[in-house]
Amino acid sequence: MPPSASSPKQLPPVVEFRGVDFRYSTHTVLHNIHLSAERNRVTALIGPSGCGKSTLLRCVNRMNERFVGARVSQGQVFVKGKNIHDTDVDLTQLRKQVGMVFQKSNPFPKSIYDNVAYGLRIHGVTAKDILDDAVERALRSAVLWQELKDRLNQNALRLSGGEQQRLCIARAIATNPDVLLMDEPCSALDPIATLQIEELMQQLARDYTVIFVTHNMQQAVRVSDYTAFLHLGKLIEFGDTEELFSNPKQKLTESYLRGTFS
Amino acid sequence: MINTPIQPKIDPANPFVGRHSRNQTLESFVRWVLRCGTLVIVSVTAAIVLHIAVKGAPVALSREWPFVNVAFLTELPSTLHVIQDNQGHIIETDVNGADAIKMELGANLREEKTISYSGGGILGPIVGTAMLVIVSVGVALFLGVASAIYLSEYASHGTFIEMVRLAILNLAGVPSVVFGLFGLGAFVLTAPVFTNSPLDRAIFTLPLGFTTLSFQGWDTCVLSGGFTLAFVILPVIITASEQCLQAVPLEFRETSMALGATRWQTIWRAVLPFATPGILTSSILGIARAAGETAPIMFTAALAFKDKLPWQKDQISLPADASLFAHWEQNIQRFLAIFTESVQALPYHIYTLAARIPQNEYSERAQYGSVFVFLILVASLAATSIWMRRSLRAKYKW
Ligand SMILES: Nc1ncnc2c1ncn2[C@@H]1O[C@H](COP(=O)(O)OP(=O)(O)OP(=O)(O)O)[C@@H](O)[C@H]1O
Ligand SMILES: [Mg+2]
Repeated sequence: MPPSASSPKQLPPVVEFRGVDFRYSTHTVLHNIHLSAERNRVTALIGPSGCGKSTLLRCVNRMNERFVGARVSQGQVFVKGKNIHDTDVDLTQLRKQVGMVFQKSNPFPKSIYDNVAYGLRIHGVTAKDILDDAVERALRSAVLWQELKDRLNQNALRLSGGEQQRLCIARAIATNPDVLLMDEPCSALDPIATLQIEELMQQLARDYTVIFVTHNMQQAVRVSDYTAFLHLGKLIEFGDTEELFSNPKQKLTESYLRGTFS
Repeated sequence: MINTPIQPKIDPANPFVGRHSRNQTLESFVRWVLRCGTLVIVSVTAAIVLHIAVKGAPVALSREWPFVNVAFLTELPSTLHVIQDNQGHIIETDVNGADAIKMELGANLREEKTISYSGGGILGPIVGTAMLVIVSVGVALFLGVASAIYLSEYASHGTFIEMVRLAILNLAGVPSVVFGLFGLGAFVLTAPVFTNSPLDRAIFTLPLGFTTLSFQGWDTCVLSGGFTLAFVILPVIITASEQCLQAVPLEFRETSMALGATRWQTIWRAVLPFATPGILTSSILGIARAAGETAPIMFTAALAFKDKLPWQKDQISLPADASLFAHWEQNIQRFLAIFTESVQALPYHIYTLAARIPQNEYSERAQYGSVFVFLILVASLAATSIWMRRSLRAKYKW
């Protein structure tokens, strides 16, 4: 049953799944997903391991299609009102506007500056002042500017885990995307760094549309406006976070949230 | 009854007292076999190096400042004349010196010996080998890195690609004399050149209007030899480059692609910079291999004897006002002409000295001197490689 109608909508969705089936070469891992993420809202994806959260997330910037035979076999994904599988969609432009942060922080072994400037340089920006500007803006947004402004030429690998992850966020937002996808962004961090990132995510929601995957229920409650619960590739429930956690409509959701899941 | 393990009696004073079981004997036996094997290798290597050092160092080095035998490194090989007078004095000299000395000695001359290739120095072979290495490593790096990038980054993994890999590995096992013959057929006799007057032996000519593309080969020259050597070291370079590319974490590529980079941008900015140190390191070992091969250059580039350096040929003469830039076309032509010359090469020179001329103390001296210099060159390449690997590892760790 498509639960997308259950959440109240005022703004047009920035990301919208319409009946999406996704398959890797041998098997289908997402079934008939209807989901939408609104502008300037944080949407959390939760569910047991292997249920397809990462796959769903990576559908939005078509990162899954690197694998042979992996494709959306049914339905459409819309980003900013455009079907991203249309033939006139340029993958590089799509990915410029849909940033992604990975589970493991993975800065390039280059300077902090070069890391943040990477996306811009790829998209042809060479002017020093524009780059400087964008790097500062991105680092400020990622609450790193004060810490790092004096050592932009330092190798990014020398930063702490939390700083590295925030640097990766800065790198992803330097190209000024509309959507920010985050796949378990805090799973490798200690509680304090996690809190910083969570705060950051809420701040980022002012400018971006954030969709993130988490295994941490409290995190979903703390950070997200909407929560989607997936199970075995199906979207079981999707709605207002508070509503979903306090008053789940589906039995499956309830047992998952209670931890009495089999 | 079930087999119960026999409980040996335990000595309360030392519960860990050794038991002389078969296992222990085997253990020490295996250890000694392995140790001896290693020792044999180490001692043989040491013996070779020592032998060469003892015999070659006195030739290439000298007791006084600058502690190297400058003439040996800066002169071309020539015929050595050894003149002995009736008092038993021995004078070593070259052709020109020989006449003057004989004149001076007059009737006092007892005998004169000539030993080919053993006089002068080995500048010619050093220069030739350097040029061959430059061409071959340039060509092999370009082809090798290109195909390694294709194999590891672009090609989808299937049976065909696996077969290509297997073929490349097999290429490494081809005897080098086969590469020599291949080079003779492919580069010396058939490779295409632009010329206005194609030779009759050209297999195929393609008139282009302003000039003709003639498949007449490049002749015996640095270019032919360098290309042949490139194919000898290609498997090494491809395999090593592929390993280096694969050692770059997959996440770098994913991150780059997720930021909207095309595949080539990703390779250029997020993969190659981190693979380059390794690629360069392993290609230095390729240099050592290319420098040492004899068979591939025997038919394609090397001469036993040549009394001129590649750039000492009669060149297209420049007008009087020649400055470096005014006649860049001619200058480029003159530069390229260097590579269409045949050369001497160190390994081939050593072979000539050791096997193609009658052996005596003078030829042996030249021979060990060359081997010593050669060994030093290869050893310093290997040292550079190790040093580079160390310093770059430290810089590009992730
Ligand atoms: N490249 C791939 N090829 C084939 N199958 C894949 C591939 N990647 C993922 N899968 C499969 O798709 C299913 C969903 O995987 P996915 O990574 O989306 O799960 P997930 O919900 O993110 O799990 P986790 O919480 O452990 O990260 C799994 O059964 C997985 O085995
Ligand atoms: Mg996942």
